[in-house]
Amino acid sequence: MSQLSTTAKRAGWRFASSLPALFGVLVFTFLLMRVLPGDPAVFFASGPSAGKEEIEMIRKQMGLDKPVPEQLVRYLGDIGSGNLGRSLTTGQPVLADLKSRLPASLELTFSALLIALLTAIPLGVAAALRQGSWIDHVVRFICALGVCVPTFVSGLLLIYAFYYLLGMAPDPTGRVDIFTSQPPVVTGFLLIDFTLAGDWEGWRAAAAQLVLPAFTMALFVVAPLARITRAAMLASLGSDFVRTARSLGLPPAKVIVTYALRNALLPVLTIAGIVFSTMLGANVLVEKVFSWPGVASYALDALLASDYAPVQGFVLLMASIFVVVNLTVDVLYGIADPRVSVE
Amino acid sequence: MTCLAVALLSSTALPVLAQTRAETLRHVTGAAINTLDPNIPGSTREAFGLSLLTYDRLLSFGKKQLDGKWVFDLDNFRGELAESYKFSPDGLKITFALRKDAKFHDGTPVTAEDVKWSLDRAVTANVLGKGQLLTGSLTSADQFKVIDAHTFEVTLPKPDKLALANLAVVYPVIFNSKLAKSKATPEDPWALAWLKENTAGSGAYIIESFKPGETTILRRNPDWNRGSAEKLASFKRIITQTIPEAATRANLVEKGDADIVIDLQATDAADLEKKGKLKVISTPQYNSITFVSFNNQMAPFDKLDVRKAIAYTLPYDDMFKAALFGRGAPLYGANWADGKAPTGAIFPIPQPLKTDLAEAKKLLTAAGFPDGFSTTFSFNVGQASTAEPMAALLKESLAKIGIKVEIQKLPDAQMSTLINEKKVPFFTEGIVAWLPSMDYFYRNFYIGPIRWNYASLNDEKITEWAQAARFEPDMAKYAALGKDLNTRHFELMPQIPLWQPSQDAVMASSIDGYVYQFHRQIDFRDLSRK
Repeated sequence: MSQLSTTAKRAGWRFASSLPALFGVLVFTFLLMRVLPGDPAVFFASGPSAGKEEIEMIRKQMGLDKPVPEQLVRYLGDIGSGNLGRSLTTGQPVLADLKSRLPASLELTFSALLIALLTAIPLGVAAALRQGSWIDHVVRFICALGVCVPTFVSGLLLIYAFYYLLGMAPDPTGRVDIFTSQPPVVTGFLLIDFTLAGDWEGWRAAAAQLVLPAFTMALFVVAPLARITRAAMLASLGSDFVRTARSLGLPPAKVIVTYALRNALLPVLTIAGIVFSTMLGANVLVEKVFSWPGVASYALDALLASDYAPVQGFVLLMASIFVVVNLTVDVLYGIADPRVSVE
Repeated sequence: MTCLAVALLSSTALPVLAQTRAETLRHVTGAAINTLDPNIPGSTREAFGLSLLTYDRLLSFGKKQLDGKWVFDLDNFRGELAESYKFSPDGLKITFALRKDAKFHDGTPVTAEDVKWSLDRAVTANVLGKGQLLTGSLTSADQFKVIDAHTFEVTLPKPDKLALANLAVVYPVIFNSKLAKSKATPEDPWALAWLKENTAGSGAYIIESFKPGETTILRRNPDWNRGSAEKLASFKRIITQTIPEAATRANLVEKGDADIVIDLQATDAADLEKKGKLKVISTPQYNSITFVSFNNQMAPFDKLDVRKAIAYTLPYDDMFKAALFGRGAPLYGANWADGKAPTGAIFPIPQPLKTDLAEAKKLLTAAGFPDGFSTTFSFNVGQASTAEPMAALLKESLAKIGIKVEIQKLPDAQMSTLINEKKVPFFTEGIVAWLPSMDYFYRNFYIGPIRWNYASLNDEKITEWAQAARFEPDMAKYAALGKDLNTRHFELMPQIPLWQPSQDAVMASSIDGYVYQFHRQIDFRDLSRK
């Protein structure tokens, strides 16, 4: 009980102390967007008959006719009331756009992270156990390959091989085959929603659609995870408690998993948290290549169009997710190593 | 037991699915539909395409053949909600007889009241239609009059050749006025906000689902009989899906998972055409021009000889091949026997231009730049796939006469802003005229301080002749004015028309009825599967 309450207190304190940072991000993005060259009103008034009047109309609609400080105050007020503005690219409120697209990005990122962890940890452990052997070299090779091939290249290659040539993968367009009917939206995560609806055929369609993009992203982040696992494993294998455990004659599997790996997981956890946040934002290219309706490709389109509201909304969302992920990692730390939660 | 049920289900479900697949058209595109009302500022081209399906207008364009390809015909109309129309002898009144059997999607009959409300909205509200319709002398609600429930009258201040054509573009759609009015508010009397996300039309298709930036699914309107032979649209469902990656669009259509696409990269289109499995209809966009432009008010491009020198330096053929793989209609290399334009009824026409470095060097020396000068050449990132190779060739060629060019690739919003502020000296752009008549091109792209006057041309004669041509009823006189305009355009060289790019429509070989449309989208009402 006391463990739980200290953890909750810690989490609460951590959250409160990250609020100034969030505010800073908010103001900074706002100002940054206005410094960028290009007038969004002119861009959006690019219809065949759009003249000065249309430009003024759009400028007014976007609130750009007011001085910047006033715009900022209005913007902060809007955010306070939960209004993130309206996207001109999609014509929808930004909040609604993000709400409908975030689950797509999260589902993809979670799956990719899971695949990456399931691959990277065994690889890292194997490399550490056979340091300097051919296994170590193979792992290093795989890591180098994963990092140096950009995601859009590996994505297009996977599409070419598995969709175009072999015809094994479904067409790489969105989260579920267009002719499959969608489940009622409960969580927004298709795999969960299909399960809740008991529609297993739909579930299979959604899972099949997820495989290629998730692997593309996983491939990209296997390297840092495997390298960290290897390094942490080496450190913990060489430490006193492992030597003691060994000398007590405990079975090698128990020594490796319970003593060495559990202690090595802390840095892996840290990196996994960081990797997750960066993946969420950095999967723009994967989302583009697979026509995945996620938040990253949405933000990129908005940025190219100088559409302020969605970009600001996206950055705010990312910052908030970063805070939440850090918080989660913090809490998990306490569970992995109880010493951490002692204040 | 459950296994059996599943097996049964799937065995009965399959033929049904196959059936719906045959009656469904899947269209993939790189861009997104962002509004259901085409009048909203910021509407995308895809939104225009959609409005043609969900709404009817009084009229739509007929079609004609151009070099063996079907294209829209500016001078020929077919009725949508209007059964017939007639002009008064002085050309100032157009009387429309409306169809009596037309119904909106909710079953309300379409009346002249609806037409009046919709056209009033198009010229009164803060909508895109306003700017467009004035090019056809339609500017005020007073011009529209309800005679009876099925007769409607439009009055013009002067006989205007483009009045009727303007009623067939995407903006003057006819709304269900009762429904729209019920959604209007005092701040929004024309229901702009509601119509942006809802339709109140009588068109061939009804929106089944609309996810901006992802998919739009349409279901056929069973009561619509305004097809070419007074019949229903052919496809029961139409799916428009946004696929940002061009290579993926090409893969989808090649594998038969998508039925039609019109925005592939030129290489992919050429490649698919060579493979021969699909139908590729490549239509030069006869209402558009890609050009190299100068700011005619900015030194050194305010000097005619400099503009001409550049025109004689461009490697036209190489640029055409590198940018478009030769897919399109060139606007260079013509032969004007007496230095006069061969025709005046149309614009653009091929210009008598070819690469002639000696002539270019002479002109540049005459302009006072024997050693050349330095400048920048700008283009949109959005057009990079065609503009980049073209710019590289232009740079290389201009270096031969001493002009040093720095290539500037600008984000689209920034380029738009700079062009709007008239701050780009030397650049490439493309223009499209929905109503490609000769005077429309000149009036909209070569006159006044507007943004579309890319060259910032300010020439008294061009202004005067273009305005005169607009209201010239005598076609012979119109062509004579056009001949002068075309000749003057070449003499002034405000910008260099290069080519009309092709619209490559790539579709399953079973798809029939494709027509190149003014708004460069597909009119799905024309399509059918053999």
